[in-house]
Amino acid sequence: MRVVIAEDLYLLRDGLTRLLDAHGFDVTAAVGTAPELLSALLDQRPDVAVIDVRLPPTFTDEGLRTALEARRQVPGLPVLVLSQYVEQLYARELLSDLAGGVGYLLKDRVFSDEAFVEALRAVATGGTVLDPEVIAKLLRKRAVDEPIITLSPREREVLELMAQGRSNAAIAQRLFVSEKAVSKHSTSIFIKLGLEPSDDDNRRVLAVLAYLNS
Amino acid sequence: MHWTFAGIAALALWAGYLAWFVLVLARRVRAAELRSMPLPYKVRALRLETLLLPVVLLGINFSGGYSGLVALFLPAVALAVWTFAPRYVTSKVVPLSLVFLGLYGFTVVREFARGVPWVTRYGIAGGGSGFGYAQLDLVQTFAFLASGLWLTWRRMDPDSAISRMLLREPADVPGRHGRPRWGLLLLLVYGVLVEMLGATFWLDTPWWSASLTLTVGLAALVLVIRAPAVAADLALAGLILFGIYGIALAAFWPSHVPLPSPYTWDVRYASVWVTSRPTALVAGAEGLALVAFGLSLVPRALDPWSRALLRSAADAELAGRVQRLTRTRADAVDAATAELRRLERDLHDGAQARLVSLGMSLRAAERLMVSSPEAAAALVAEARETSVKVLDELRGLVRGICPPVLADRGLADAVRALALDTPLHTEVDIELAGRPSLPVETACYFAVAEALANAVKHSAARQVQVRIRHYDGRLRIMVTDDGCGGADPQGGSGLLGLERRLGTFDGVLAVNSPPGGPTIIAIEVPCALSSRRISISSGTA
Repeated sequence: MRVVIAEDLYLLRDGLTRLLDAHGFDVTAAVGTAPELLSALLDQRPDVAVIDVRLPPTFTDEGLRTALEARRQVPGLPVLVLSQYVEQLYARELLSDLAGGVGYLLKDRVFSDEAFVEALRAVATGGTVLDPEVIAKLLRKRAVDEPIITLSPREREVLELMAQGRSNAAIAQRLFVSEKAVSKHSTSIFIKLGLEPSDDDNRRVLAVLAYLNS
Repeated sequence: MHWTFAGIAALALWAGYLAWFVLVLARRVRAAELRSMPLPYKVRALRLETLLLPVVLLGINFSGGYSGLVALFLPAVALAVWTFAPRYVTSKVVPLSLVFLGLYGFTVVREFARGVPWVTRYGIAGGGSGFGYAQLDLVQTFAFLASGLWLTWRRMDPDSAISRMLLREPADVPGRHGRPRWGLLLLLVYGVLVEMLGATFWLDTPWWSASLTLTVGLAALVLVIRAPAVAADLALAGLILFGIYGIALAAFWPSHVPLPSPYTWDVRYASVWVTSRPTALVAGAEGLALVAFGLSLVPRALDPWSRALLRSAADAELAGRVQRLTRTRADAVDAATAELRRLERDLHDGAQARLVSLGMSLRAAERLMVSSPEAAAALVAEARETSVKVLDELRGLVRGICPPVLADRGLADAVRALALDTPLHTEVDIELAGRPSLPVETACYFAVAEALANAVKHSAARQVQVRIRHYDGRLRIMVTDDGCGGADPQGGSGLLGLERRLGTFDGVLAVNSPPGGPTIIAIEVPCALSSRRISISSGTA
């Protein structure tokens, strides 16, 4: 799987490259600035890109803007955006084209390399992965509205994992329950939230996020 | 001189008064343990008016017009007041008595000049209409008046309620500054005027003239009290004019007398009767002294007026501005210091402590690496957990200093991000053609954040609206919620702190929150927008 890495700090760029190498990824480019990133994305069309939000020259949200620009030119180009902080605003901007293949995680998530690699693969295959912190904020905000209050604690857990882009199987494994139980929970969630039930992981996530963002 | 019973009794009474005075004085000296002190110190401690009291008493007693009994018992009243009343009463009564004695002297001399064959006593000058007595009267008149005015001045407590009311302005009324004490000199000028022109000069009928003179005198007194600045200016003009008149007298004597007395051809000037060249020279010297005194006061007299003239509205505005800047600067410095202190404490208790424990875990893992790889792995995992926590804390700190979206995108998107994180239906309506400076943006951001947090915590609102515009050179922010209202900007430190922070940029914060709602928080900050990058998203959250 071909990966492009954009990170301005050499140590982190190097670390990410080695981590992904070790997990069998093919790092085709590791760049440090936004213009380099854009040309790498457009020329190489990698299977997935790992992008730091803050990049030179302005050290603001260049990485995010470049990712959005690349996805505008190449719809659905999978990008995993890393940041020292997560903002719902940025998550919404990434999700707004509803094309999937988007990830938005805190940089610390790299520490758990297996989960990180799993997330990267999910994004590469068109999935949507949001940082638990974003999900938590979304849920906190919606907590004042009625339908979400009707969810049981277990259903909330399932919803959170679902929004992180996990499949029913992965959720079942994580919660130590059967896949059938997860399926039942998710159906219940969809009914309570008034959404169309779906088996397609990405559509499920997008539906949930669309609801939460509404 | 023949001895009568009444005469002996009066003499005895006076001896009694003298004994009374000496005894009380001696007791006071003893009480204050002043005996070993040098004389000037004693005088200062006992106050000068105490020593002048006998002078006053003698002056009153010997001045004509009283019936014998009044003259005899007045000193008793005065001594009683001096002995038993609080000191500040004496210190007011004595100077005032001296002033009135002096003013009375002018009329005595005037009457003599008119040729009224009174047997008038004044001060130490006995009754009689001789020229020598009149000379003595003039000198005494000036001595009484000068010492009275001087003592009044000295004894005026500048902080007493009365002198504040009479002589001082409220500090910041422009244009009416300065209530010079030498406005009191107007009384002297008035006295000299009466002396020269005569108490009944103005109109033919003596009674009417006397009334007029009295009225003018009262007017002078009212001026001194109500408009000291005007009184001071008039006194100044009078001093200089009288001075010039005196110099003219000396210069033209005897060929030309500029202003002869209306009743006799004798000319009086200040403390002399101008009848010869030497007396004319004395008058000239007095005139010179008066002119010099008047001129020396001119700069001080002009000062308030020139200041009033120069003190335009712009000046007052500038003064207000300086005051405001001083205050907001102090606030800003305080806030910055408190903020740094908080950061220091947070870093010290949080990140630094965790990094220490991280280092210790790693060191322990290093040692266990060979002997007990499993324990080492557990320690490393723990270290990793710690590093996540450190990062989390640092993130929180950074958010508190400058929220990332604010730095990345500016106020509009930062407020949108804030709205997304606010657990209320938050409508955002922002139209900005550019970005304010980062400090202004930051202050406004935290203001909106506080307003939203208040809406969440206290208002029980269902929805909030944030509206931001920029026009007429001001950034205008309005946060409106549909909650229960009743927010008090003085009550919570939050809003007050915001107001201070905005004040640094001349910004203002207004809260309108009637009980029952809605609450509207309006913020205005004068600022310019730069044409930095504009945000890309908008809408509600």
